[in-house]
Amino acid sequence: MAEEKEPREGEKDGELSETARQMRAAEPYISAVWKLVGGAVVGVLGGYFLDKRLGTGPWLLLGLSLVGISVGFYGFLHEMNRLGKGRR
Amino acid sequence: MRKAMGLLVGLMTSVAFASSPGGHDDSTPMEKEEQDVAAYILHHVVDSNEYEFEVPLGDHHIPIHLPQFGIPIRAGASCEPRDTGDGHGKAVPGWSEGCLDLSITKHTVMMWLAALLLVGSLLLFSNRDKSKLVPRGTAANLFEMLVLFVRDELAIKNIGKEEGPRYTPYLLTAFFFILFMNLLGLFPWMATATANIAVTLALALCTFVLTQIAGIRAAGLGGYLAHLTGGVAPWLWPIMIPVELLGLFTKPFALTMRLFANMLAGHIVIFFLLGLIFMLGHPAVALVSVPFAMGIYLLELFVAFVQAYVFTMLSALFIGMGVAMAHHHDEHHADAAHSHDHGRAHH
Repeated sequence: MAEEKEPREGEKDGELSETARQMRAAEPYISAVWKLVGGAVVGVLGGYFLDKRLGTGPWLLLGLSLVGISVGFYGFLHEMNRLGKGRR
Repeated sequence: MRKAMGLLVGLMTSVAFASSPGGHDDSTPMEKEEQDVAAYILHHVVDSNEYEFEVPLGDHHIPIHLPQFGIPIRAGASCEPRDTGDGHGKAVPGWSEGCLDLSITKHTVMMWLAALLLVGSLLLFSNRDKSKLVPRGTAANLFEMLVLFVRDELAIKNIGKEEGPRYTPYLLTAFFFILFMNLLGLFPWMATATANIAVTLALALCTFVLTQIAGIRAAGLGGYLAHLTGGVAPWLWPIMIPVELLGLFTKPFALTMRLFANMLAGHIVIFFLLGLIFMLGHPAVALVSVPFAMGIYLLELFVAFVQAYVFTMLSALFIGMGVAMAHHHDEHHADAAHSHDHGRAHH
């Protein structure tokens, strides 16, 4: 990949602190984990509030929770796959 | 030194006794005393429209009422502050309904004071003979050391050599503003504005906006928006975009809570240790609780610097991650285009 040949911003002289370097390296993984959690959060909260507003009982909560959790899982696996490919 | 310490402890004890809300009446039941202490602590930590000067060694207060005003944001809302009757002018229930409360509070005054100190001290101490390389005087050297620390150790080490200096002015402002607010809270008759969640939230929002600007500058507006889609196929965007948007707010949330909780907790501990004297109802308790409170007070002095440092360091770290977004974006973009093509091929 192009960015692997060329050093990243600020890394050229190794002047970045260890924390900054590690956080930047970990960022894609943190983002992947957030996708897994956030999918469930968005699904459950979205379903709960839509149910409250539309008065549709527990159905939208159940349905959107499942959708959210599934999309979260998909996003997580997708990101992990992509990161795995990038490392190889 | 020992004499000075003794004098200080004595003074603190007497001030603590003098400022007890209900005096130290032995006949008061312990529960009532506990409630009084809790109410006293809360009253001193939360924001209010009233600035109160307590006269040391006396049991009276000089209240200063700060101006109250608001802007009606709903039709027909009245923003006239009503008198509560007790002459204290405290927040009136229902007053803020449909009315944006913009009253000047104790913490607003503290923020103004911190801003004045910030501008004044930096103007004063940076004004030196420019023909000489080395600053003269303790204050000028101290400020130069702090400024250089923020630039070299925080901005450049976390953002990078090229982009770091661009964000240094913001980081310096945040560092000194927070430091002055934290330190002001340690003086008698003052309040800690950083122990107010609204203040820390506003500070964190400044960092948040700057982080997003850094991301947009690095990846371009298109790249930034593409990043928000999470690199998944377009039919998943209705779920993935809210997820990514929520994810953006986790960092400012952490900044807000960390500063707020740290500053609030220290003050509550000090007040509570002094409050033990009244709760247990014996002056001898002061022999234990006053030295402990002094210890916590000194720790607070350290925490004031540490929290200003941590907020600035994390701001720099987050801005640096925004700057590095361009690289993640390239990978995402290539991948999103790939999955999009894949989807079309299936159709």
